[in-house]
Amino acid sequence: MKHLILGAGAAGISAAHRILKEKPQDEIIIVSQDEEVYSRCMLHKFISGERDAASINFINDDLLERKNVTWIKGKTLTRLDADSKTVYAGDEKIASGDTILIATGSNSVTPPIGELRTAKNAFGLRHLSDARAIADYAKKADKIAIIGAGLVGLDAGYALLELGKKITFIEMAPTALAINVDAHAAGAYQKKFEEKGVKFLLARKVVGTKGDGKGSITAVELEGGDSVPCDMVVMAVGVRPAIAFLEGSGVKTERAVVVDDYLATSVPGIYAAGDAAGLSGIWPNAQKQGEYAAYNMTGTKWAYDDRFAIKNTVNFFDLLTLSVGAINPQEGDEVLVKEDRDNYRKLILRDGAVAGVILQGEIGGSGFWQHLIKNKIRIDKLGKSPWKLSYADFFGVENNGEYKWVV
Amino acid sequence: MKRIIIDQEKCDGCKNCTVACMQAHRATPGTVYDLDLLDPKNEARHTIVANGKGGYFPIFCRHCSVPDCVGACMSGALCKDPVSGHVQYDESRCGTCFMCVMSCPYGNVKPDKVTHKRILKCDFCKDDTEGPNCVRVCPKKAIHVEEVSA
Repeated sequence: MKHLILGAGAAGISAAHRILKEKPQDEIIIVSQDEEVYSRCMLHKFISGERDAASINFINDDLLERKNVTWIKGKTLTRLDADSKTVYAGDEKIASGDTILIATGSNSVTPPIGELRTAKNAFGLRHLSDARAIADYAKKADKIAIIGAGLVGLDAGYALLELGKKITFIEMAPTALAINVDAHAAGAYQKKFEEKGVKFLLARKVVGTKGDGKGSITAVELEGGDSVPCDMVVMAVGVRPAIAFLEGSGVKTERAVVVDDYLATSVPGIYAAGDAAGLSGIWPNAQKQGEYAAYNMTGTKWAYDDRFAIKNTVNFFDLLTLSVGAINPQEGDEVLVKEDRDNYRKLILRDGAVAGVILQGEIGGSGFWQHLIKNKIRIDKLGKSPWKLSYADFFGVENNGEYKWVV
Repeated sequence: MKRIIIDQEKCDGCKNCTVACMQAHRATPGTVYDLDLLDPKNEARHTIVANGKGGYFPIFCRHCSVPDCVGACMSGALCKDPVSGHVQYDESRCGTCFMCVMSCPYGNVKPDKVTHKRILKCDFCKDDTEGPNCVRVCPKKAIHVEEVSA
């Protein structure tokens, strides 16, 4: 069998690893737009200069050197022919396979505002090429406006701060990290950034740009009349699945590729995983989807059932936060909060189970919360404070010594 | 692969294993007699949890067959060694995102308390030919190493 994997990110590479474990003799062709394999989660470390391209490569074996693995890099796909399972870049036929995995990830979104789409000093941040462009341009920039203060925005700001730049965040939500943590936990990060001279303009909307008439933005204009002078703009306002090449292919798409429980698309033999499949692009989920797709591509039917994606870890200035499930309570929820000099901890209880947890400060050994929240395991009958819970309350051992949850 | 097998009923919570783990991973050379148990740099990599009724739960890394910590690792710092089957950590590659901490369903992985710049997890005392230090010192034989299919 020949498997064609489109994309060399978390989903694509984990699929390749799994295929080789399941069917060591099968042939794998990986096609990617990227010319290097790299971890998107570490692009900010590339921008800041802490790492180079080679040291953000996340593959730790000889995957790409195996004789039955071919990597075709630097190809931007424009078309998929579903009948012959062949992909093209323009008129060039790139590769074909018996099965295909669409793991092309996503691209950053550029809002159609002012000159954001055309200016030579405005950048998105999703690919290593973006990080290179940002790092390169930042050499001649001093004042940088970052649109969006979510994780990617803060990552970019953190990196550029290390390069000594003056940063202003412009964010539509009333807090930073609005989809990741609650206002209190976000405030702790905001304070740390502000102590380094970073400005936050929250609950503010970008409505236009001012230019120098030579293709560069000189200020970002906000609703209400203010403007933020800048000599560089980074946009971190979201991503869109990179699936334009599927148009007309017969593979059903909506915002992302439509997949069933087996990560199969509407065309037999063609699967999708990661951001392209739109289920959840965060690393652990994309990685797992790649593996499950690979099982299905190699003949082991395996439903992907872990669609839980409301989970994050955040680390700036060595202040750590883990956030799983609900971050703000809804009516009827019970909220427990504990705070001391170094820690902020919040639990949201709903229907006898834990609906959400935020731990800021010490997060050691807290992985069990995800299992507890994801599976809506009832804790109200245990007769103990939710703060005292650990995996020990659900301790069980399999014959081979692995743990299992006993509830 | 070799795994530390836990016989929970035998554990009497003496924490000899905990001290042994601290000793095995201390930064400075020395004997267990001069190990500073109060220095947060000397953290153990497992926990013994009391149930309040005289019983204990030894929570040790399982080096799982399909380790969620490895699946969550976006830097390649964590990997399941193809030969030993053990989940090993390469600090130099770690991106300090701590998604591994979030992903271990048994709450085993943790950032180091002092710097928050690396994780601490069981490495099966990989450089010790006699095997994991914790197992050697358990007076009740509540933990032992066994070859298992994984």
